[in-house]
Amino acid sequence: MKATAQIATPARWCSNTSRSSTDGTIALLNLQAQIDGLEPDAWLGPPDVESRAALIELITLRGLILGCIADYERAEEIAEQLVHDAGTGGVAFVARARIRAVFHRFTDLDIAERLSLDAEIINSERAAIYQALGRYDEALAIREAATDRRASFENVSALAGLRAERGEIDAAERLYAESRNRYRGVSPFPLALLDFQSGLMWMNNGRLDDARSSFDAARRRVPAYAPAQGHLAEVEAESGEIETAVARLYPLAISSDDPDYAAQLARILADVGSTDESRRWCRQAAAHYDKLVARHPEAFADHAAEFWLTAGADPTKALRLAKINLEVRRTPRAYDLLLRAVGANDANGMRVPR
Amino acid sequence: MSDHFSGPRALADPTADISDVFAFPSPESPQHLVLVMDVFGKAGPTALFSDAVIYRFRLRPARIGSTGPGASFAVEADEFAFDCVFDVPATAKEATHPAQRGHCLMPSGETISFRVNHESGGRGEGVRVFAGQRSDPFFLDVRMVEKTVATRQLAFKKVGSDTLYGTNVLAIVLELEWAKLLKGGPMFAVVCETLRPGKRPIRIERVGRPEIKNVSLSWKMFDQVNRDLEIRDLYNSEDAFNLAPDYIDAYRARMNANLAFYDSLDRKIDWPLDEHGNHPLTKILLADFLAVDASKPFSETSYFEIEQAMLKDRAHVTGGGRWLNEDMMDFIFTLYVNAGNGPIIKDGIDGPIAWSTKVFPYMAPPNPPKVVQR
Repeated sequence: MKATAQIATPARWCSNTSRSSTDGTIALLNLQAQIDGLEPDAWLGPPDVESRAALIELITLRGLILGCIADYERAEEIAEQLVHDAGTGGVAFVARARIRAVFHRFTDLDIAERLSLDAEIINSERAAIYQALGRYDEALAIREAATDRRASFENVSALAGLRAERGEIDAAERLYAESRNRYRGVSPFPLALLDFQSGLMWMNNGRLDDARSSFDAARRRVPAYAPAQGHLAEVEAESGEIETAVARLYPLAISSDDPDYAAQLARILADVGSTDESRRWCRQAAAHYDKLVARHPEAFADHAAEFWLTAGADPTKALRLAKINLEVRRTPRAYDLLLRAVGANDANGMRVPR
Repeated sequence: MSDHFSGPRALADPTADISDVFAFPSPESPQHLVLVMDVFGKAGPTALFSDAVIYRFRLRPARIGSTGPGASFAVEADEFAFDCVFDVPATAKEATHPAQRGHCLMPSGETISFRVNHESGGRGEGVRVFAGQRSDPFFLDVRMVEKTVATRQLAFKKVGSDTLYGTNVLAIVLELEWAKLLKGGPMFAVVCETLRPGKRPIRIERVGRPEIKNVSLSWKMFDQVNRDLEIRDLYNSEDAFNLAPDYIDAYRARMNANLAFYDSLDRKIDWPLDEHGNHPLTKILLADFLAVDASKPFSETSYFEIEQAMLKDRAHVTGGGRWLNEDMMDFIFTLYVNAGNGPIIKDGIDGPIAWSTKVFPYMAPPNPPKVVQR
């Protein structure tokens, strides 16, 4: 798009409104306001496909930011109802496909495609699925084609995430910078998610200082961003800043229904010898993981296996879950998890699929 | 909420998504001009204005440039901008309904501060400002508009279903003593914008006339030139008073095609295209601002009256602009489908849940949250 005529802005306005995105606390209140505004539409009167699809997206976003699994489950419930009520349109199936993908269940896209939904939407969802399954080459072909066609913030940031997951750090870093430059909105959520993704990349590659900067940037954009806070605590713990990490994790472990925070807290407390308290958090995490694995085995097998390998101290359970995990995602991380589980069980002779 | 969800980018932050713009001479005082910008359609109770958006009212003195077919306004280069910005509430972290403050920068450089949701608003020399949550004054049956387009037949029912029934918006209301604050006039062209500030500000959205982007421009299937172009983000980024030449043909082609579609709905042509294929309304609708004549008395049904008078080469009698309670969908569909040569096309919704009043801040208080029992 060509630049349009220059927009006049008083100099002192620029200094008064120096933020390039909405304050994270306002944004979260407004996300709630959007959900509250749409929820009645979704349920009162005749089924409104667009409203319900938008509601699913918004509740999913809130779940992502607050680390709230109940939100994902609520979004899935609405999506199931939507397909039941309006199953003749592609929009309903894509909405359900997206939320099911959060739980690592991949369905519905073929149906949506047959119902003639926009090919660009279908391709984007398909690439996300290939990526989640570790089918990186197929995902890359779609992502690159999308970026060639339209180098939008969404397309470039998706390609950056894929490159990062493939371990192509230089390319990913360049694409992350490019996608930030392409952002034209004021919502802080897309940028916070990008910072978080970038933090994960640095963390997976052992660059803790860079990871800290990225997670901290995400947290500053949206203070309530639970996964960013959780990973920042992880960096702090690995850097020996135990007190800071523990202080950061307490409110998350108490408020979130995602057991990762309690598990992380248990692990750190055990490392510093606070055994009794560690056990308490461990019991809480264990109970939550068991429930979640029973409800959504594909989604939580990896995190639960990680827990049982470490703070949970049950390698047999970890191995069972690591096997389930490898069945659903053939990623380097899944292989590594299985190998560690096998090692922990001293399972001689076990064949690990390659 | 005629412009709600008017482009994929606007969806990203509802606080920058302008749903409607109104401009009318004050019903109580002819010295005052009232301007209203609504954002955040279907806002829940916790909605706040963004601290990263400039909410801008732009006014330029205008006059009638030419009349008859091809009628146009002559808009002057002088401009008066009223910029509103909002703080992060100090209590945002703790409170469910934190108190937010706003500030309006006047063309004179004076700044008026006010509390959001405070009925009496803020006051300055010749101006009052209100900002806060109000009942959405717009009313329409979106499903039947979509059905009309999908089936290519008018689908409105005798009694429609108001898509916006009981919903709220965030509104900014300015009441200006126009002769004191503005030079020129008495006719002004009015546009509202949301901007992302910075060294290179970004125009997120702009709105002048009702239902230009959604009803008039969004449908792609009739456009033989750009059938797959989502035109609205591009359109939003343009300066309403200076459309860049690069895309004007794309807007024109889309508008011509969609207006011709609407004209075909009653199986007779009321708007014959000219020799270049241009619809008679395209040019004046793409002058996408509200033209309001502050010297005329307030009228409840005044939208497009100035333009219709121009097209028919007669003098206008109302202030034009747009009043809050006007039944816009009936007017637009009647204009587009039969040019007023046939019966009024009624969409089956004759009013909002709450009528706006004729005293400041004009818009009705917010509706209580709807109770959903699953």
